[in-house]
Amino acid sequence: MKHRLSLTSLILVIFILLTLQIFSQNPAPEIPKAQLPVLITSAGQSPDVTTVNIIAEEAGVPYDYCDVPTVDLVKAGVGLADKESGPGFHVEIHSDLEKHPKGTAYKTMIFAIGASLKGMGASGLTVESELKRLQSLIDYCQKNNIFIIAIHVGGASKRGAPGSDNERMIDAVAPFANLIIVTKDSNKDGRFDQIAQAKNIPLLQVDNALEIVEIFKKIFL
Amino acid sequence: MNRPLTTKLILLAVTCLILIPGSIHLYQHRHFNTPIVQGPGVTQVVHLSHYFSGLKGTQADTPVFILQGKKPGGKILIMANTHSNEPAGMLAAVIFIENALVQQGTVYIIPVFNNSGSRTTKPGDGYPLYFEIKTPWGKRRFRMGNRNASPLDQWPDPDVYIHYPDRQLLSFIDARNTNRTWPGRPNGLLMERVTYAAMELLRQEKVDLAIDLHGAETMFPVTNCIVAPEKSIKLATLTSLTVKALEGFDNHVEPSPSKFRGLSHREIGDYSETLPFLLEAPIPFLDQPTGPKTVELLLEGKDPFLLRLAKKKKLFVPYDKTGWPMAKRVGQHCSVILELIRQYSRKNPERAIKLTNVPRYREVVAKGVGYFFRNPEKADREKIVDI
Repeated sequence: MKHRLSLTSLILVIFILLTLQIFSQNPAPEIPKAQLPVLITSAGQSPDVTTVNIIAEEAGVPYDYCDVPTVDLVKAGVGLADKESGPGFHVEIHSDLEKHPKGTAYKTMIFAIGASLKGMGASGLTVESELKRLQSLIDYCQKNNIFIIAIHVGGASKRGAPGSDNERMIDAVAPFANLIIVTKDSNKDGRFDQIAQAKNIPLLQVDNALEIVEIFKKIFL
Repeated sequence: MNRPLTTKLILLAVTCLILIPGSIHLYQHRHFNTPIVQGPGVTQVVHLSHYFSGLKGTQADTPVFILQGKKPGGKILIMANTHSNEPAGMLAAVIFIENALVQQGTVYIIPVFNNSGSRTTKPGDGYPLYFEIKTPWGKRRFRMGNRNASPLDQWPDPDVYIHYPDRQLLSFIDARNTNRTWPGRPNGLLMERVTYAAMELLRQEKVDLAIDLHGAETMFPVTNCIVAPEKSIKLATLTSLTVKALEGFDNHVEPSPSKFRGLSHREIGDYSETLPFLLEAPIPFLDQPTGPKTVELLLEGKDPFLLRLAKKKKLFVPYDKTGWPMAKRVGQHCSVILELIRQYSRKNPERAIKLTNVPRYREVVAKGVGYFFRNPEKADREKIVDI
């Protein structure tokens, strides 16, 4: 009798533990849908925006790119008012102009986060003016229901001490995003987990940047 | 004989006694060659002077190995030993020459781009004159050269090197540096003629990709990377992402500065249709705060001073007791070259380059560099080319 009781208790304990384990696991984050047309830009002018452009190309997501768009340019929509690239200003138009003719309002903006003094300098920006530009863009996106995706793929080299340029770029964009995508090496200290939790933003974490190709396919296509 | 004359003669004799034995080693080094076996993929060997006769008969002329596939396609130029004290690229180039089988397109390989620089040493730094790579059939000996061409071949140095055609003022020593003399000119200094000849190769053959293989200090931020100008940066980034995802090593992308002239990754892009890339593999041997510049340091990359600096986070690459062995550096070069070719071919199927039988990073690290070298003693004599 004693043996049977202890066996039943053991099975019960294992069952409770397994149940607790199952419910304590974080459910896989649901990937939200974003709509086209999409504009990709940089938050901090690091070369990581090129990575994001390539991810979009590999995923087959048509996009427009501008490294330093102003609110007026974003307002101009697809084609970014036919502006041409020049020193410190780069534009690429890859949107499907048949589906989204020039002037169509953007429905999604992707910010590639990462500070580069060299990049900002080349565009005639300082950290302060870049932050100001980002704030105005985020305000515009929020007022006009533009879906914001914040991406950090630069790893440890694009992170820093609190208050450093990289962290200020993160603060300027990530807490206001509708979706955050990061590589594991960008989030070693759990900073993006904290932002996502505090602001209730879906966070997707990948081992390497190329995995974002599949995420983009699910988000956009 | 008066006394001052005797003193002078004695001094002259002593000087000769010091100079002659010292010079013999340097003379032998300058004339030492490594026999390379033309692999089954090599279809032709020419000299760089084939593209510009102004190099003919000079110490700057150097072999160009051509591997042409049966199917027409794109073309790539691989250059190594632009700086001959960064030999990982040259070893990777030899692996390609002795093994690659090209099915489509054409591969041009210049294993010793600055031939003059490879036949001199760096005065005052105690560089070894040679290093040896173990192979299954013995050891293969290579010259360890210098960053710049020998003053025996290009002299005198100017007070300031004025870059052609941008007239940017560069250090006098860069007049002998074949990664500062691009795009070169036909009637310029010898090293300007070397880069001009390479530009002619790129232009005459309509080469799609040019890869310049280098090594850089672990304390220098532009290390363990692909340097690319605007026109090549997407391909470089895609390659960097892919090798990290599939092969597990970092190789970040550095943008080529548009205002720093004379570099291959800048001028090739600006003065031809070719997409240029410069690959930097870490080479602890070149760092300043190391122990003696030994062959072991060159091959293994292990140094206690760098290890201490790594703990203080002063290096730009991960560094531990295993150092940065040559196989790792050569393997990275092989994989990045293969990946650049693969990605370019994927995006430009009409100019695809297809080749096989070249090992990637993991295989080179696992088997060692020498595993992929052919034994010249077992090859036909007409298949041997001295480099």
